[in-house]
Amino acid sequence: MRILLFAQVKDAIGMAEFAVTVAGRPGVEEVWARLVEVQPKLAAFRKTTRMARNGEYADAKTIFTDADEVALIPPVSGG
Amino acid sequence: MKIEIQITSQTIVPMPFREEFRGSAGAIAEFAGVVRAAENGQTIDALEYEAYSPMAEGQMRRILESLAERFPCLAARIIHRIGTIPVGETAIYVCIASKHRGEAFSMLAEFMNRLKQDVPIWKVLAHGRGVEQAPSTCCQPVKTAGRSDVRSLDEALGEISSRCQPLPGVRAPLAESSGRILLETVLAAEDLPAADKSTRDGYAILENDPSEALRIVDTIHAADWKPRQLKTGEAVRIATGGSLPCDAARVVMQEHVERDGDRIRIVRREGPSNIRKRGEEMRSGQPVLSAGTMLNAGAMAMLATVGCVQPLVSQKLRVAHFTTGDEIVSPDKKPAPGQIRDSNSILIRGLLQAFPCELVQAHLPENFEQAKQEISAFRFPLSAFDLVLVSGGASVGEKDFTRPLLEWLGFEIVFNRVNIRPGAPVIFGLANDGRRVAFGLPGNPLSHFVCYEIFVAAAVRRLVGADAVGFRRGRLVSGLEEASNPRETLWPGRRELAGDGWSLTPLPWSSSGDVTSLVRANALIRVPAGSDAMVAGAEVEFISADFR
Repeated sequence: MRILLFAQVKDAIGMAEFAVTVAGRPGVEEVWARLVEVQPKLAAFRKTTRMARNGEYADAKTIFTDADEVALIPPVSGG
Repeated sequence: MKIEIQITSQTIVPMPFREEFRGSAGAIAEFAGVVRAAENGQTIDALEYEAYSPMAEGQMRRILESLAERFPCLAARIIHRIGTIPVGETAIYVCIASKHRGEAFSMLAEFMNRLKQDVPIWKVLAHGRGVEQAPSTCCQPVKTAGRSDVRSLDEALGEISSRCQPLPGVRAPLAESSGRILLETVLAAEDLPAADKSTRDGYAILENDPSEALRIVDTIHAADWKPRQLKTGEAVRIATGGSLPCDAARVVMQEHVERDGDRIRIVRREGPSNIRKRGEEMRSGQPVLSAGTMLNAGAMAMLATVGCVQPLVSQKLRVAHFTTGDEIVSPDKKPAPGQIRDSNSILIRGLLQAFPCELVQAHLPENFEQAKQEISAFRFPLSAFDLVLVSGGASVGEKDFTRPLLEWLGFEIVFNRVNIRPGAPVIFGLANDGRRVAFGLPGNPLSHFVCYEIFVAAAVRRLVGADAVGFRRGRLVSGLEEASNPRETLWPGRRELAGDGWSLTPLPWSSSGDVTSLVRANALIRVPAGSDAMVAGAEVEFISADFR
């Protein structure tokens, strides 16, 4: 699973992307748990950051696979 | 509703729908969001924006499509700029065309509200006199480094990615763009193919023409453009790649026809229509290559296809590389006892070939004053270089003058040691607000290789605007018993794709001066500080050292 980081999350972790492996078909909460395991600093962003799967915002029903591109989307400020 | 979305690092040129909707549009509403000189109560010169471009484009399209159900409009064009945007320049441009003004105003206002909630674009940094901070709209970024000059690997990488700034792009001839980073999203200028094309040598006839015998009224070669309305009983001889003369036609392949002079008789009628439809490969306005793409041969062929002959690409980097140390002799000389041949110059030259650059290399005398004199005598000013690398002299021995040399050259030293092996005494310096970068690399070849792949390549990617490359995950093929060390280790390894993922073979490594492992190394395996012996099959992080 390819994880993309942006804005302040990218700055805090110090990289724009990394990879993790996930088993089975996890939901958002399981993916978050796996990410925090690999990058403990991500825990601080969990409340404010949305997760996207392959370019679409994920919700409680979203199922992930190891082949997905996952982006962590902190509060946006475009325009 | 026609929708056009563009995310670009270029200055935005307003493009209202004038000609396209002449006669049909009664309202054309334009909006420009412009960077103000005040952010967070301080005066700024520029704001820096970042986007998750593919998703941002998708979200904008989705928002417009859903708004179109409530406010039917003719067309919407959105251009959002990213990168550094000076005060007074446009960050977002929106143009809506509609029959009446009401729906255009509503769509415009609603779109901007939704953009600020859901579209993954961020203001990441405000630039100004004495200001270098996250704008008020951001949560405060977490500072990763303290005051000390020593860093952990993650801290060092974080500082390189946050403090090196992308260099402005240039418009270069397509033929000179190989290996550079595309800095704009390129859209198809026209449909491809531009007309319905025949995929066979044969005869174009009306789709529903029941005639068995037809008269040949024209011939169309691949390059011809001869529109005409076919009538029942008429056929046009057409070559593979030829443009169909009219809509609602099909091509009967010549093998299914008996010809006699200007007459044909169709002997087999079933089968496909043998037409490649207009816009089948790409539609006008559709993005064909996104910003951040490294231009390889295929990407350049795509740019040629859409007529983009002067793409906005990263600059050729200007790099100066100095070797130091009296123990170094040129590779064509036989070293005296106590001396070694210089392998670092050619190593750096080879590694830098991944990026288009102009490289100047020189050997400096071991005396600091003499080295300064020699640099002062160069024909070129060192301020002309985007990247300065100094091999050797990075430690703190009395002859090690890399740090004072870089400071003398105007670089602010960010760190001078990273808690890794090999390569701990690596120096990182910045000048010109992060647009000029310097590294002092420890002299051993393996340290050189590691510091280049981990630190220098990350800085170069940032300068040229390429996406960062993080660590990947793979499994060890054989155990690493000597792994345990109080420092984090980057172990040379060989990476191979095996079935369900990457497998990594650690290479023998006795000392930092060991060149043997470099011959086969294409990965660096990350071994955390204080690890126990790692067994075969253990999951590890690694960074690729030869492809991106």
